[in-house]
Amino acid sequence: MEKNNSTYEKYFYESLRIRLVEEKIIELYPSDKIQSPVHLSIGQESVAVTLCDHLKKNDWLFINYRGHACYLAKGGPLPELFAELYGKKTGLSKGKAGSMHLADPANGTMGASAVVGSTISHAVGAALASKIRGEDRIFVSIFGDGATEQGVYHESLNFASLHNLPVLFVCENNELAVHTTLEERQSYSVTPHAEQYNIKTFKGKDSTDFMGLGAIFSEALGEVRVNRRPVLVEVYTCRYKEHVGPGEDYDNGYRSEADINKWKIKDPLIIDKILVEKFTPKIKDEIDKAVEFAESSPYPNIDDLLSDVV
Amino acid sequence: MTDKKMKYREALTLAMSEAMEDSRTMILGQGITDFKGMWGTTLGLSQKHPGRVIETPLSEDAVAGICIGLSLNGMYPINTHIRADFGLLIFNQLINLASKYRYMFGGLFEVPLLFRMVIGRSWGQGAQHSQSLQSLLGHIPGLVVLMPSNPQSVLQCYRHAVKKHRGPVVIFEHRLMYELEFEHNQKIESANPFDSRIDRPGKDVTIVATSIMALEASRAAEYLSKKGIEVEVIDLHSISNPNHELIFNSVKKTGRLLVADTSWIPYGVAAEISRIIAGKDPSVLKKPIKSLGMQPAPCPTAKALEDLYYPDVRDIVSDVASLLDKDIELPPKQSMTDFYKHFKGPF
Repeated sequence: MEKNNSTYEKYFYESLRIRLVEEKIIELYPSDKIQSPVHLSIGQESVAVTLCDHLKKNDWLFINYRGHACYLAKGGPLPELFAELYGKKTGLSKGKAGSMHLADPANGTMGASAVVGSTISHAVGAALASKIRGEDRIFVSIFGDGATEQGVYHESLNFASLHNLPVLFVCENNELAVHTTLEERQSYSVTPHAEQYNIKTFKGKDSTDFMGLGAIFSEALGEVRVNRRPVLVEVYTCRYKEHVGPGEDYDNGYRSEADINKWKIKDPLIIDKILVEKFTPKIKDEIDKAVEFAESSPYPNIDDLLSDVV
Repeated sequence: MTDKKMKYREALTLAMSEAMEDSRTMILGQGITDFKGMWGTTLGLSQKHPGRVIETPLSEDAVAGICIGLSLNGMYPINTHIRADFGLLIFNQLINLASKYRYMFGGLFEVPLLFRMVIGRSWGQGAQHSQSLQSLLGHIPGLVVLMPSNPQSVLQCYRHAVKKHRGPVVIFEHRLMYELEFEHNQKIESANPFDSRIDRPGKDVTIVATSIMALEASRAAEYLSKKGIEVEVIDLHSISNPNHELIFNSVKKTGRLLVADTSWIPYGVAAEISRIIAGKDPSVLKKPIKSLGMQPAPCPTAKALEDLYYPDVRDIVSDVASLLDKDIELPPKQSMTDFYKHFKGPF
């Protein structure tokens, strides 16, 4: 794909921004200022970025516990993200959500669950509500390959297809569920399986191909908007870091550094040093200000403990 | 309310039909658009409100999540489960998601929605068609859990849930009561439709009862009244938020407490009511607390065993006598099904 255009630079900038935010989290993590399990998207940023580029603000995106990338790509405010991670009152969820339950309904990011697959059906229900009211919005559920093993995933595909609901299902296939490989978990392939529910599918073979991925989401979301039918996109990608936490994990014996390097050698955020250099100062400045906001924000207190229960 | 008679089932039917008048309300479940329409309680609604009454696949987990999504997007879904036992399949959505949506996201979302769960009993409902799961859910912050014991309570609390309450509500209906006809004899409507209420005032013994056990308690109270004993019957109604003051003040007055629940006793309603008394002032008790519930086993199918499995009016009278150290002639042992004679199989 042609790289010297503004769309590529936009994808690059937004992906780099997410990566630098998460690298900041890694840097801060040993200080224990962030006391929340973090599931980093490093290596997978472009999926969120190219997807959200084709969503309108009132198209709802139902995310999951590996949610920093989607939260940011959908327009979530960065200072409030760091405040949320710090457990501060100025986080969008007042520190009650932390990293695993990010949400930003003002920008159409719906709450993340830490129970794998458990918000897929929420996207389907929200789509049904809009269909009943005759709205032209669309709804997206994004999840990992592990989520496709949940019964609720199958139930949701069936219902969405049966009722002609405008839902895009996005499977980020990083071939790992925590530390368990696809071969140990799946007897099926995601796209042909989804087609059995009469759902059209697209396959993104490489998340490092930003423009290719953007084109797939453009077409897939176009189908959902026009046909008012569910569509599924599966994107192959790579989780560079450990399942949860700030560390590497190729030295733990279940995956090799070489396998990760196969992705890194084609990763634009690593190899396109000119753009990295061009964008980094501005992004770092934004991040520093966001961290400062989190640092200087108050903690929630006893008045917050029992608010919003019932 | 007038003094006209109404069946429990008719109240449910009316509650559903009233709820559907609001264009945001939906009903989703299994067997709600067929010719039986959940024992008539949803009959005709899918024709009257096309698109808003949805017969679902056998996908309880997804459907509960779909209801959450509907609620997030401005609808008011009512999700039906013709047996509470099937409702166990939605516990992930109910406990991990619905109950926590408001708190976990710091107040960014509300999920007003309603789950109807029906408790089965008798005609061999057996181990998986008869469970009373209220205590499991009463344990979870964020849920309102109710057990209406008469048509008036049904109408009040369903109206309130649908029109006013901004969070998830679980209502346990009792199948054995569906065909029972009630007179509207509650003099005052409860100020809070989700609150506990006194069904019958008395001075000698307090019985706190749930669902159909409130009926049994009233029947026992009637019997005991003829023996000169005045029982105060509290219909607990709210499992999640029992009225502590109401219960404590009653026990303070009578000094004697029997808790009659539809479920198992350990970690259940009786334990919670006992905690309320113990935590406030156990010295008001003149006798140790008695509790009645199902026997500590899964429910057997054989009628001979089932009749032994559930407590009935005779057990209540016997416990009241023991609380008062009195010798009272007990009513004959008669199973609730035989007494009410309304619930015949197969379902």
